[in-house]
Amino acid sequence: MNQTARRKPGREQDWVAKEWAWAWPDNRRILYNRASADPDGKPWSERKKLVWWDAEKKQWTGADTPDFIKDRPPSYRPAPGTTGVDALAGDDPFIMEADGKGWLFAPSGIIDGPLPTHYEPQESVVENFLYGQQCNPKRLEYSRPDNPYHRAFADPRFPFVLTTYRLTEHHTAGGMTRVLSWLSELMPQMFCEVSPDLAALRGLRHGGWATITTARGEIEARVVVTRRMPVLRVRGQVVHQIGLPYHWSLVGLVQGDAANDLTAFVGDPNVHIQESKAFTGDIQPGRRSRKRRAAYRGELRASVPELPRDLPQVEPLQGRVPKQHELAKE
Amino acid sequence: MSKKGFFTDTTLCIGCKACEVACKQWNQLPDDGFKFTGLSYDNSEHLGSSTWRHVAFVERPMALGMQVSGAGNFSWLMMSDVCKHCARAGCLESCPTGALVRTEYDSVYVQPDVCNGCGYCVSACPFGVIDRREDDGRAWKCTLCYDRLKADMTPACAKHCPTASIQFGDLVELRVRAQQRVEELHRRGTTEAYLYGADQPGTEGLNAFFLLVDKPEAYNLPPDPVVPTRKVRRSWVSLAGAAVAMAALAVAAVTGV
Repeated sequence: MNQTARRKPGREQDWVAKEWAWAWPDNRRILYNRASADPDGKPWSERKKLVWWDAEKKQWTGADTPDFIKDRPPSYRPAPGTTGVDALAGDDPFIMEADGKGWLFAPSGIIDGPLPTHYEPQESVVENFLYGQQCNPKRLEYSRPDNPYHRAFADPRFPFVLTTYRLTEHHTAGGMTRVLSWLSELMPQMFCEVSPDLAALRGLRHGGWATITTARGEIEARVVVTRRMPVLRVRGQVVHQIGLPYHWSLVGLVQGDAANDLTAFVGDPNVHIQESKAFTGDIQPGRRSRKRRAAYRGELRASVPELPRDLPQVEPLQGRVPKQHELAKE
Repeated sequence: MSKKGFFTDTTLCIGCKACEVACKQWNQLPDDGFKFTGLSYDNSEHLGSSTWRHVAFVERPMALGMQVSGAGNFSWLMMSDVCKHCARAGCLESCPTGALVRTEYDSVYVQPDVCNGCGYCVSACPFGVIDRREDDGRAWKCTLCYDRLKADMTPACAKHCPTASIQFGDLVELRVRAQQRVEELHRRGTTEAYLYGADQPGTEGLNAFFLLVDKPEAYNLPPDPVVPTRKVRRSWVSLAGAAVAMAALAVAAVTGV
């Protein structure tokens, strides 16, 4: 039977509804579901029970597939010196953690621990509402001529939020899909998505051209004016967003400017993924200048006084700075 | 052979266009050119000689019945269009060469080795489905994957639909299933759901029919498609009447009665 194709309605089964499709790998619907039962293995809540210890059969059972060592009784306690999975006690639900405990306070393992919090991205339109440290204090910055940053927030040159994303028809930057006619024809050109409000504000015409600018570079894209792109209100301030698929570049059946020319190199401290989902920029109607402009060939916009990203004692990590000859040449 | 067809439930369509691509790949169809349209996420615009499945994207400034979303009064409809394989097909009835045939699955099939490219079928289709290809001049459209059906396989589009928006099967069974789906949607509050083409008098029914939630025009479908050949008898009668009248007038003018 094709388990993924199962469509038994939820009302015809229990509330976990395990016969609706399939959850990889073991049709387990809720991870760490041992935590839904108390230390003795009885559900905390009758209404929300997921798994429980069956003392007769001496195993975990329940509505969901138990996410625990199946035959480990709640009373099990590891002997001193035990290692690995054997060291997990019968009341240690978080089996992927070394000690089997859920961590609200994470003293090791992540660089920006021990407590979760909120930071604004490297470039934001608003000040961090939560507290004085604007950005992640352990972020990875790259101080290099092709990578200038905007002001931490409220940069008068770049008033809008930019976000990049994928379309169904293309794969990542499009290197593989822009050479396939059946996919390229479905999404043939770089475009940006803006709300009707932003279109009116900047005189953008649906189907026309727009130039999107950051301090790093400048690209052109066709304009799609759509109500799918909502206008946000952040602490009373109207925030416009510009959506940018990032599937185009210089080769293939369909070509266009690359959204990644706009993004900033700034990495998160743990896995060094760059912040390309939220940054700031500007948009103007019309096509870009014939010669594509990039920051390493000179400033695109006159600089403005910085606003602090960090509290005085904080210093972000620094990425490797390339030698001059390593910088991309046009 | 039982009658086969498609039931396309647009409320399940997620706009992935897998049907379009699967169709093109199986049938080895050429691209339509690389034209940006600005019509939401739709860049292939309509069915044609090399696009036999087409996904329409409709952005509406109104919500669906029972829709709860942060988008407010907005809904994004998607619909995978295809040849309707009309029970009474204008293309088939207007074809002078016999290139268009009715298959054992009750589908309408163009035999490319017989088609001479006259194009009568193009103007006889009330949906604008069949189209001639510029390079070879012949008419092309969805074959209901005749070659796959002969091998006991599901048509490529239905096979690749990840949400069962496109359902292929026996027409009798599909119609029952479709009716149940409409009733279920009504129960859930999407009272605008209805079937388009389950019973279409102008074409005596469609073998590929749709569940829609807005009027047909919203999806670029004709509200009342009529196969033009239905009007043949009436036009011949009018023609005969006019001929008789002209003759009578001529006789009257000469004899001076």
